[in-house]
Amino acid sequence: MDLVAGKLYPLERRPLRHIDLVLVGTTVALAVVGIMMVYSATHQSLVAQHLDPTVYLKRQAVFLGLGIGLAVLASSFDYRFLKVYAGILYIASLALLILVRTPLGTTVKGSQRWFQLLGFQFAPSEVTKLALIVMLAAFISELRSSERTLEDVYRATAIAAVPGALVFLQPDLGTSIVLAAILLGILVVAGTRVRHLGVLAVTATVLVFGAFQMGVIKEYQIARVTAFLDPQNDPSGANYNRLQSEIAIGSGGLTGRGYLKGPQTNLDFVPEQHTDFIFTVVGEEFGFVGSMVVLLLFGVLIWRAFRIALLSKDPFGTYLAAGIGAMFAIQMFVNVGMTLGIMPITGIPLPFVSYGGSSLLTNGLAVGILMNVHMRRFT
Amino acid sequence: MTEGSSSLRIRVLATLVAFMFASLVTRLWFLQVLAAEKYRAEVGNNVVRTLETPAKRGQILDDQGNVLVDNRISLVITVNRDEAGDREEQVIYNLARLLKVTPKEMAKRVEDVRYYRYQPVPVAVDVNWKTVAWIKEHPGDFPGVDYLEQPVRTYPYGTLAAHVLGYLGQVTKQQLKDPAFAGYEPGDIVGQTGVERQYEQWLHGTKGIVKYRVNRFGDNKGEIGELPPRPGDNLVLTLDAGIQQVAEEDLKQGIDAAHSVIDSATAKYLAATGGAVVVMDPTTGAIKALASYPSYDPNVFVNGSSDARTHLVQAARNPLLDRAIQGLYPPGSTYKPFIALSALKRGFANTSTYYPCPGSWAVPEDPLHEHFDNWTPASLGSFTLGGALVQSCDTIFYPLGFEYWKDWYNTQHDPSPALPLQHDLKAMGFGRPTNVDVPFEKQGLVPDPIWKAKAHHDMPHVYPQGDTYPADFINMSIGQGETLVTPLQITEAYSTIANGGAECWPHVADRIESPTGALVQRIRPRCNHHVPFSPSTIAYVRNALAGVPTQGTASSAFVGFPFSEVSVAGKTGTAQVFGQQDYSWFAAMTQGSGKRYVIVCLVEQGGHGSTTAAPIVRRIIEQLYGLTPSIIQTEPATD
Repeated sequence: MDLVAGKLYPLERRPLRHIDLVLVGTTVALAVVGIMMVYSATHQSLVAQHLDPTVYLKRQAVFLGLGIGLAVLASSFDYRFLKVYAGILYIASLALLILVRTPLGTTVKGSQRWFQLLGFQFAPSEVTKLALIVMLAAFISELRSSERTLEDVYRATAIAAVPGALVFLQPDLGTSIVLAAILLGILVVAGTRVRHLGVLAVTATVLVFGAFQMGVIKEYQIARVTAFLDPQNDPSGANYNRLQSEIAIGSGGLTGRGYLKGPQTNLDFVPEQHTDFIFTVVGEEFGFVGSMVVLLLFGVLIWRAFRIALLSKDPFGTYLAAGIGAMFAIQMFVNVGMTLGIMPITGIPLPFVSYGGSSLLTNGLAVGILMNVHMRRFT
Repeated sequence: MTEGSSSLRIRVLATLVAFMFASLVTRLWFLQVLAAEKYRAEVGNNVVRTLETPAKRGQILDDQGNVLVDNRISLVITVNRDEAGDREEQVIYNLARLLKVTPKEMAKRVEDVRYYRYQPVPVAVDVNWKTVAWIKEHPGDFPGVDYLEQPVRTYPYGTLAAHVLGYLGQVTKQQLKDPAFAGYEPGDIVGQTGVERQYEQWLHGTKGIVKYRVNRFGDNKGEIGELPPRPGDNLVLTLDAGIQQVAEEDLKQGIDAAHSVIDSATAKYLAATGGAVVVMDPTTGAIKALASYPSYDPNVFVNGSSDARTHLVQAARNPLLDRAIQGLYPPGSTYKPFIALSALKRGFANTSTYYPCPGSWAVPEDPLHEHFDNWTPASLGSFTLGGALVQSCDTIFYPLGFEYWKDWYNTQHDPSPALPLQHDLKAMGFGRPTNVDVPFEKQGLVPDPIWKAKAHHDMPHVYPQGDTYPADFINMSIGQGETLVTPLQITEAYSTIANGGAECWPHVADRIESPTGALVQRIRPRCNHHVPFSPSTIAYVRNALAGVPTQGTASSAFVGFPFSEVSVAGKTGTAQVFGQQDYSWFAAMTQGSGKRYVIVCLVEQGGHGSTTAAPIVRRIIEQLYGLTPSIIQTEPATD
């Protein structure tokens, strides 16, 4: 294999001729929607604090630019090199997860999951998702047999479980769920038997139950889950978020209140609105129609990921794309489901839309990898 | 791995994802299409706060347009215990120092059980701006402390007519259950006594509403609507501040004078513990003055401490009692005109016979020969019934009472035993409320054998006897025994006599006016009830009573009075109360220069009617008719 991008191919096989423009267009559309929503969610309170109302908008735009840069970078070399460095990437991401637990990391809202870097916050767990996808894709694509034994499944699970446990201890329940979904997605595409998936599910259930019993799961996490299951009993106040979020979305109605005109948004009723609850802005200001458009964009994004998995010329590319598709799908589902009150509240951002640099950059990288697989499906 | 199986598995994954989308879309459809209305409404609840603005309470004016009750703004310091949090003790200490009360007293005010922790508790009223400014300038020392501008009552005439006007207080739980208080909320200030209570619905007005938007933190983000409060209507009374003042001053003066009179029966100074005066226009029932002594300062209910209120409630002579309508007293001889009316109607007496007036009278056929004494041991000769009223001869009335007893005794086993006296007294308004428009009126008592048996049965310690004896009727004939009346009942009954038998409903309110002065409602006098006595009988009694101040029991109190200018008929009363000095009564009917009044005065433990009550009434009459007021000096004791 050759690293040289300018390697000569027949004209119609050149990677640059196979850029997935639908994927690019969808991603940029989602990111633009995100910037608009972030502005809507933040400008009023910024004005009230006598700050520039476009501060968040500008930062998000800068991150989008960086994200596009990373996407271009990630698609500029042959993705198969990733396979070679998968182990190093994986180990490095684990090292970061451990480092963030040391005094080098900072604690935000009771959860130690950030590095403070040049005035920006950086969450290593974002990188972990990609590292895990690459590692799992590399691991499974290297298996000789096309039959997946239970041992293979356990090994793959072990690969996911190490970062999963580290993330869970931060505590970051949301990312743990995403890592589990990535594992599941890749295992399904890798041809794991249903029976083995069943064994995995039972093991996972036992472990989660054990975690509750051993007190590994933090009280606030239990509170959020019980508040979700029993909205009347809400000692933690977690339900307030859920209720205000539902009110915002429900009151949007069919066509919404109009951009920048949502009272719930303007009067700050939804906590964490520009980050985790960004979808409430869509729901309130653009209504059912707007929500459908955003979901449709996600649908297209995930469809393109799965399509790329299908088109990939090697299993590694297939697993990479499937893992990324699964990652987008689970994040979208858990995040939007949370704002609609059908999923518990976990701190998962909505890809491309939520305010936040780490997330936008990681997702940019992910899209870059997808493009990469797509571009090189004939080379 | 084959192409085909990989494709299939990706489709499996895609199907899973499709289910995710399906559940999100379904939920969105439910929230945004099916339940959108409900959530729109919840946004309203979220972002719109309504603040009530108090309505200005109506003024209370006298018949001349003088403002008796007005409003002013009072600065009230409040403490929100939730906001003070763990610094509550520090707040209490700082406030105590600032407001110069003991920390203990301040803690008591703050820990008011009538308020929830999240509600601001008023801890000081009528503070000055400097105090408020100090608190606002030192927010660190006073977390949870705020102030509000509260409209409160102010009384330009001070304590004048305090009992009639009444005071305000927080609406009670029982009141909130009353349909008349629909729309009121806990904490609302309403009239609790007097006309403030009686005419609450007009005086109160309607609260205004200000709607404004708030954000999540409750910060005001701009008004979105306002419904201004509608001020309460003004109440114009029949009461005349000038006459009320005269009545109160003369009552007090008379009571003070009585304190230097030695009571012959007890050989002690008269205690004169309290009294009442009613001045009424007999032709309309309009009350011009309603005085009760001792009185109280209504400001205690505006800015007084709870201790001051408790003190007032527990005060020995009960200044909160409106003696004119709530005081229950034996009427004594002021009852005799009504006994006479009944006796003439029932044929137990007539206007032509002369009756002997010995020093004492024994019940005939009574083996014990129980004696009933006149107010003087000397025999006064013989009088007609009218003369008996003028001289207040008890021994002429005793036999009448006995006749009534015999009447009852002979028919007591009938289905409806004969009780004509009780019937006639009730017809004159005794034993039932006058329905005066001042709340908490007492209705008095016209005892009869049925009542007596029941009272004995219910409270044997208070009423050791359940059987009816001649003495019950004999005592009743001179307004003693178990008989109880209020000064207002006496006033109403004398007004009926003065009015030739037309009974007028006594009232203190004349009309309701809007804040701009337009007439809202007139309180119409009601004089259409005629008592069941012939006009000639009533005229006879009224004419007889004209002799009382000129030549009868009140003549000493009316020496030198210009009867040619103002005609005065009246009746003294000296009521005996067990274990106390006599209660002094005088009831007068006056006419002169086109003005007619009935004036009744009662002084508790004021001795004889002519001693204390009659001079008070004389002085009031003189001031009512613009005569030179006499100096109250105590008069010789005649009934």
